[in-house]
Amino acid sequence: MPALLELQQALHAQILGDAPPADAASASRLAIHRNTVLATLVNALRLSFPAVQRVVGAEFFEGGTREFIRRHPPTSPCLNDYGAGLPAFLAAFEPASTLVYLADVARLEWAVNCALHADDAPRLDLAQLAALEQAAVSRLRFAMHPAVSVLRLEYPADAIWRAVLEQDDAAMAAIDLAAGPVYLLVERDADAVQVRRLNAARWQFAARLCAGDPLYTMVQQAPDADLSAWLAEHLACGRITGFQLHQPPAHAPPTGVTR
Amino acid sequence: MSGNPANEGAHGPIPAAAGIGLRFPHHGHVLQQRPQVAWFEVHAENYLGGGAARRVLERVRADYPLSLHGVGLSLGSAGELDAQHLRRIAELVRGTEPGLVSEHLSWSVVGGEYLADLLPLPMTEEALEVVCRHVEQTQAALRRRILIENPSTYLQFSHSTIPEWEFITALAQRSGCGILCDVNNIFVSASNHGWDAHTYLDALPAGAVGEIHLAGHALRTLADGSVVRIDDHGSPVAAEVWSLYAQALRRFGPTPTLIEWDNDIPAFDLLLAEAAQAAALLRSQAAASHACAA
Repeated sequence: MPALLELQQALHAQILGDAPPADAASASRLAIHRNTVLATLVNALRLSFPAVQRVVGAEFFEGGTREFIRRHPPTSPCLNDYGAGLPAFLAAFEPASTLVYLADVARLEWAVNCALHADDAPRLDLAQLAALEQAAVSRLRFAMHPAVSVLRLEYPADAIWRAVLEQDDAAMAAIDLAAGPVYLLVERDADAVQVRRLNAARWQFAARLCAGDPLYTMVQQAPDADLSAWLAEHLACGRITGFQLHQPPAHAPPTGVTR
Repeated sequence: MSGNPANEGAHGPIPAAAGIGLRFPHHGHVLQQRPQVAWFEVHAENYLGGGAARRVLERVRADYPLSLHGVGLSLGSAGELDAQHLRRIAELVRGTEPGLVSEHLSWSVVGGEYLADLLPLPMTEEALEVVCRHVEQTQAALRRRILIENPSTYLQFSHSTIPEWEFITALAQRSGCGILCDVNNIFVSASNHGWDAHTYLDALPAGAVGEIHLAGHALRTLADGSVVRIDDHGSPVAAEVWSLYAQALRRFGPTPTLIEWDNDIPAFDLLLAEAAQAAALLRSQAAASHACAA
């Protein structure tokens, strides 16, 4: 008599792997579970990657995602969390290699999915910042809203994503794949996900905020930029939810950041 | 059964009336029309984040009694429970104070990987101990009693030693959980395995049953020629299941009853019609109980 763990490992191998079931009768009944597992997971990925599915077609999407599911099954029972690995899988997926921008569209859709399902968090109370001593300002490192993320993509995936979902052939035809990288900020406002294009300098600042870098390092990187204005915009948009004070090295230079 | 302890949420207890499983396609309709529904049940795993889905749940919770139905705790897994997932469920329970919380007699996780289905357990003493331990851990984490739903199954294991109705009865007695009696699942499993559905119903401890589920199922012919019933929640409740439901009500008394659809989800009016059909049976059972009491 198999122990429960052995039985569950064997069923896992028979449902997602190639292990043969004990007999034909149990094979056809086990197939019911295999079909449910695969259909549920393909559908979860379809909901999270609708533009990828439109680009490749439903049949190709199903075949590709079934392969992905077998190699990378979910590790969380919350299916909104499933699919982080699909962009990298698609980037290396030979049958899709002619669609050079496909992995970038998938990266954007994953960021949109994460923004959609991220936890709620109240915006930072500005009175807490106002109470800081001027000397402490450069040591600020911020906590960003869980729905905020930044992406630098080689292809204009934001324009492709919109054109594909809106089925706008004219917009699709106007896209220049050689136009260079796009710098994106993804966030959720009033319960809708927004994808914004930034210039390289503003994106760099947002990326450093998301990485939790202290303000003074950003000033060192961009001494001429109007960081106060950029920071004010992030605060006003509710993208910042908290802060800590970083203990900088003794030789850290003074900064021009003011409240 | 309003005195059943399983139904006593902090507030918004689930009435012994017909509720509806709320799915995404009906969010807009329910928020805008506020239909007359006794209570709603949602799948907990769909509301673990924030944003629009959580706003919808909060608004539904403000207007209707709410039941949370988990599909991902994998109480029958041989290993440990997913502590992070249990914590997220506990936070949702704290945040929404549902009238009922339920999960399944099944497993989905092995080796840290989630097989997105409710997989069957062998009915063994080892499995019973595992499920009891996990139910007790869950009830401790949620600080409340939960209901456990009997499964629909297509496979049986040759080393099973305990009839399913005895297994779930023992689970309720040992762990203190209640039972979510899915009448369609009893019908499906009994049909697939040659059990007697009435024997199953009669064996359940009436005082432990805190909720009933009703759903549709499909018939499928397998490659070997055998016909199985598949619990796909994609069609109206079958006539045989309605009559089994009437028997369940006679046995358990008026009990909160859910109409559940998860595939080919129809217009809301059809859900309302099925809920009305359940409500009529609930009323006639309540009247009969009253007459007996008098």
